[in-house]
Amino acid sequence: MPAARKLEGRRAESPPRPAVPRRRRPSLSGPYGFLVPLFLLLIGWAAVKGGFGLADDVVASPGQVAGALWALVETGVLPAFVSVSMGRLVLGALLAAAVGLPVGLLLGLTRYGALMFEPFLRFLQAVSGIAWLPLAIIWFGFTDRTILVVIVYTAAIPVIFNTMTGVRTVPPVYAQAVSTLGGGRLRTLWNVYLPGALPGIVVGLRLGIGYGWRALIAGEMLAGKSGLGFLIFDARRFHVIDTIMAGMVVIGLLYLVVDRMIFGALERLTVRRWGVLR
Amino acid sequence: MTATPGTSRTPLRIRLLPLVPFAGLLLAWALAGWLLRPSPATLPQVSAVAETLAELAASGELWEHVAASMGRWSLAIVAGVLTGVGLGLAAGLNRTVGAMVEPLATFFTAISGIVWLPLAIVWFGIGTETVVFIIWNSVFFLVFANTVLGVRSVPPVYDDAVRTLGGTQRHVVIQVVLPGALPYIVSGLRSGFGFAWRALIAAEIIGATAGLGAMIYRAAEFLRSDVIVAGNIVIGLLGLAIDLLVLVPLERRTVRRWGLVTEGGRA
Repeated sequence: MPAARKLEGRRAESPPRPAVPRRRRPSLSGPYGFLVPLFLLLIGWAAVKGGFGLADDVVASPGQVAGALWALVETGVLPAFVSVSMGRLVLGALLAAAVGLPVGLLLGLTRYGALMFEPFLRFLQAVSGIAWLPLAIIWFGFTDRTILVVIVYTAAIPVIFNTMTGVRTVPPVYAQAVSTLGGGRLRTLWNVYLPGALPGIVVGLRLGIGYGWRALIAGEMLAGKSGLGFLIFDARRFHVIDTIMAGMVVIGLLYLVVDRMIFGALERLTVRRWGVLR
Repeated sequence: MTATPGTSRTPLRIRLLPLVPFAGLLLAWALAGWLLRPSPATLPQVSAVAETLAELAASGELWEHVAASMGRWSLAIVAGVLTGVGLGLAAGLNRTVGAMVEPLATFFTAISGIVWLPLAIVWFGIGTETVVFIIWNSVFFLVFANTVLGVRSVPPVYDDAVRTLGGTQRHVVIQVVLPGALPYIVSGLRSGFGFAWRALIAAEIIGATAGLGAMIYRAAEFLRSDVIVAGNIVIGLLGLAIDLLVLVPLERRTVRRWGLVTEGGRA
């Protein structure tokens, strides 16, 4: 039948796997592609607020939020809180990396390390840093240290997990090659496992910062006297919705900046450039 | 002779390895309690926690909290998955909708979860609605993003195939797009379930009076570290159970069975 024969012909020279499916990312999603949706969102938001006549202590209008944002900047509250929060995050991330990387490497390199520790790590992750907040409050009170401890705990786990996985994906033949060329353990670690595990490590750090960011906000809500989490949580007591929403916007933007620009750039500079990504 | 973990020939020794860190922690904890003699508020003794756990279980208080937590979690998960997959399909299939929605989804993912807590408390007060909203928030954006990714990853040649055989858009969606997007969706579910569990606890600590999170937070006020540790053990075990008992079988039955993912890749 003609139809069958036609299909036969097509299969013979079957098209290559499409690198980009037809439903590809349209150009609207270029670097400025977010402007149109943002604009529509603002309009929709203002319309809902005005149209339904929602009270000011339920939802704030875009204008009110902008006003609150300006007030926060002007009084210096926002810059101060942003730097406090970011400071905690950065410190927490550094400590988490300092703990997580060696542990992850160790677990990945030993034969049964990963197998032995994976359920345990999953258990610790299920408990989640925030669940340790009450205990941390008993130990350290409502201080910076409490928040820091929670951030480090929360961020270290993905770092360990992903470093471990990253190390394990390195084909052993490379380590063997270095061995045959006379290299010792340290050289194998430096020249084979670290670069090889780099994609995993970067993913782990990225996730760690993401989870740590949430732990930071939660910690500041509960145990902080400063910072963005504290800002939005405290504002709720006075029902100043515009401040709460302004704070949320700042938190979101800050996270996007850290995640996309810093980690995106980091990934581009290291992993992709060294061709470690398959 | 090294055995492949997970096969039926794995020696018992290897299968029990995962218990070692737990045992080690327990041992270290017991030793610390015995040697350092910390105050009960700082580090409760292993025996104290065990007793408290038994007490809470016997009095039924533990089960009340567990029920409250699991109820909220289940409800929010179902809502989050249905809305996430539904909207994700819509956004993935329609180019314009996708382009419109995606940047917004990215931003809202950045603030998903507990960042909404103050607003949620203003809107719903302290209690179940707030907790469910926060969890839904956490799950929805994750599942949505993964669904969109999954839908986009399906090569269009399959849609065309179904259409040439006379299928309608409905057939395309149900028989091509959904199964094709499934690995991504299931992967999203797997992360989402864990996320949801953690968001649940966080939301309950700050925004509820019942549930495991609320239980451990109240204990802090009375310096009952034993309750906190007991509660955390339950939280951890439940979370672990969810991961192992719900998701691995789910994955096995859908994604692997339909041959959409090759064995050997770590999820």
